[in-house]
Amino acid sequence: MLKVAIVGCGKIADSHASQIGRIKGCEIVGVCDSEPLMARQLYERFPIKRHFSDLTELLDARPDVVHITTPPESHFDIAKFCLERGCHVYVEKPIALHAEEAQTLIELADERGLKLTVGHDAQFSNAARRMRALVKSGYLGAGPIHMESYYCYELGRAYAGALLGNKRHWVRRLPGKLLHNIIDHGIASLAEFLTTDSPQVKAYGFVSPFLRSLGESEIIDELRVTICEEQRTTAYFTFSSQMRPSLHQFRIYGTQNGLILDHDQETMIKLRGERFKSHLEKFVPPLMFAQQHLENLVRNIGTFLAKDLHMNSGMKYLIESFYRSILEGTPVPISYREILLTARIMDAIFVQLNVNRPQPQAQPQMA
Amino acid sequence: MLPTNIENLHNLENANRIIGSDDPILITGANGFIGLRVVENLMDRGFRELTCMTRHSSDSAKLEALVSRRRSGARIRVVKGNLLSREDCAKVTNGVAAIFHLAAGGSDKSFPDAFMSTVVSTRNLLEASVQDKSLKRFVNVSSFAVYTNTQKRHWRLLDETCPVETRPELRGDAYCFAKVKQDEIVVEYAKRFGIPYVIVRPGYVFGPGKINITGRVGIDTFGVFMHLGGSNPVPFTYVDNCAEAIVLAGLKKGVDGHVFNIVDDDLPSSRQFLCLYKKNVRRFKSIYVPHALSHLLCCIWERYSNWSEGQLPPVFNRRRWHAHWKKTRYSNEKLKTQVGWTPKVPMAEGLKRYFEGCRDGRQHA
Repeated sequence: MLKVAIVGCGKIADSHASQIGRIKGCEIVGVCDSEPLMARQLYERFPIKRHFSDLTELLDARPDVVHITTPPESHFDIAKFCLERGCHVYVEKPIALHAEEAQTLIELADERGLKLTVGHDAQFSNAARRMRALVKSGYLGAGPIHMESYYCYELGRAYAGALLGNKRHWVRRLPGKLLHNIIDHGIASLAEFLTTDSPQVKAYGFVSPFLRSLGESEIIDELRVTICEEQRTTAYFTFSSQMRPSLHQFRIYGTQNGLILDHDQETMIKLRGERFKSHLEKFVPPLMFAQQHLENLVRNIGTFLAKDLHMNSGMKYLIESFYRSILEGTPVPISYREILLTARIMDAIFVQLNVNRPQPQAQPQMA
Repeated sequence: MLPTNIENLHNLENANRIIGSDDPILITGANGFIGLRVVENLMDRGFRELTCMTRHSSDSAKLEALVSRRRSGARIRVVKGNLLSREDCAKVTNGVAAIFHLAAGGSDKSFPDAFMSTVVSTRNLLEASVQDKSLKRFVNVSSFAVYTNTQKRHWRLLDETCPVETRPELRGDAYCFAKVKQDEIVVEYAKRFGIPYVIVRPGYVFGPGKINITGRVGIDTFGVFMHLGGSNPVPFTYVDNCAEAIVLAGLKKGVDGHVFNIVDDDLPSSRQFLCLYKKNVRRFKSIYVPHALSHLLCCIWERYSNWSEGQLPPVFNRRRWHAHWKKTRYSNEKLKTQVGWTPKVPMAEGLKRYFEGCRDGRQHA
């Protein structure tokens, strides 16, 4: 029986506890939060053996794996401490605040013969796994020519209110602020298919008129990024709080065909590279798209009936794969190269946003 | 009534108060739907030392406007703060004689969010109060949501003697969970540190400013309004009546440790309310779901949710059905007899104002 612990008992910890509960062969031996009441409420709602407010005491319960679901500021320190104490670590995204920290954690895990992963669970949904299998089968032709990743976020009134009203909110302390807590999934989708370690990254970000109208000037909630690696593969990344629909999509184009993955609808659409002759191009592809959408519908219904269309099915798959890699010594589900590349791209974006942020114009001096 | 009689009544009321007009009072959630009325009620009763705490993100224009009407000599301050900050709690509780704790919040779907903003904040406030020995009453504003209602037959009376949920996490309702735990922590701190408290549990608080129809009447989750209440009385309390009940319960001598339910008189049935709403606010299609059928659907949903390991969240279940849609009568006798409260705004007038507010709200939406 794999012994699991959770550190940080906020909103995302609920998802971890419920998905771990669906996996056979593991048990949650303890949960920990610096706020004892938060640890207790999680303990009371899930089959969990003990609750703690001290990380050292939690680790004394000798868990095999620790899930870190605290705010990102503390990821590095807690993950490092857990690795040093001999635990495998699953860190919620982002893995750390900077790529150097991610590198340190990976080196430490390797040194100690431990496993490390990060919560890029969107890449493990049913549809995302189908897409990955197709790419591996060579459907795209030669490697990706271009990719587009949309990872948007509807800034609801509750979250916007909490964030805008509280100048001490932990999101404000992150180098990338709001973006730092959200864009990981979208960037990681691109990093998975990039082949070099240092692509060129150009970022453009700004505070949306919506947030500006609420008096906000620091929180960037519109971001466009261009990524290019050695004049080979290019990629666009879009984050928007205002764009509708609020897309969570990934598009990938090869030399022969392309694919569109929709995370919200759990659909994958094949884009056929060849064209039909003359007017057939106007009639046949729409029919083929209709057929594909119908197939996606039938597949989703089937998955639902098989009780595997949970909102966090990607998380369950990732956790399960991670545990298997620990127990069977197989490779980790997300390569360390991909984790590091994601962190590096995010670093590059945040550096540019901080440098390029327009400074308030100097007021004309009165004589 | 003659002025001398009014004066006598005021004197009698003052004699029954645990605090005087110059004693400092803290109101958390002061900018909220009920909080504003509580502040107004306290001001009208001549209390001159009020600290009105609101969230940083809260637009306190209405509260500021209300406070600007202060009487001469009154010291009413609006403080922006965060109850999750122990420092903020220590600042606002310093020297206060009574705390009206109305602040609550967080997502109604996320258990940790609701718990943090309701229970952790209450604990911080209680701890800060323990440090300061001046507190004479902690008024915790709870909710009808805490009652289980599963043990009783149809049409039985729901009053303060009824049991609360022992497994609130199974209701599938983060608000219920947080409120049960909030009540528990208030009682725990009262026992450990001797904090004098009362708990007030309003039914569904309505009035101008709210435009939604309570889930006790029905839900529109599935694209069409499903009327689930039928002939059930809806435990309404008009916001001004509710605020007065909270204030009176907070001031009354000899009620420490008591729980008071707040519902108005002349409660309309769910069906009557829905007819009035459609007539006065807007027309829409609704489907009546008989109680037996809604109970069956809740059972099926609950079983499916369990079987599928939460593929559909357990938001509909038998516990919720018992709490929201089982035929139940409500009592306000304890509040009337022990606190001396009567609903000043009659139900018909309250509904009229509410419908006007709904129409205005929809126009401005």
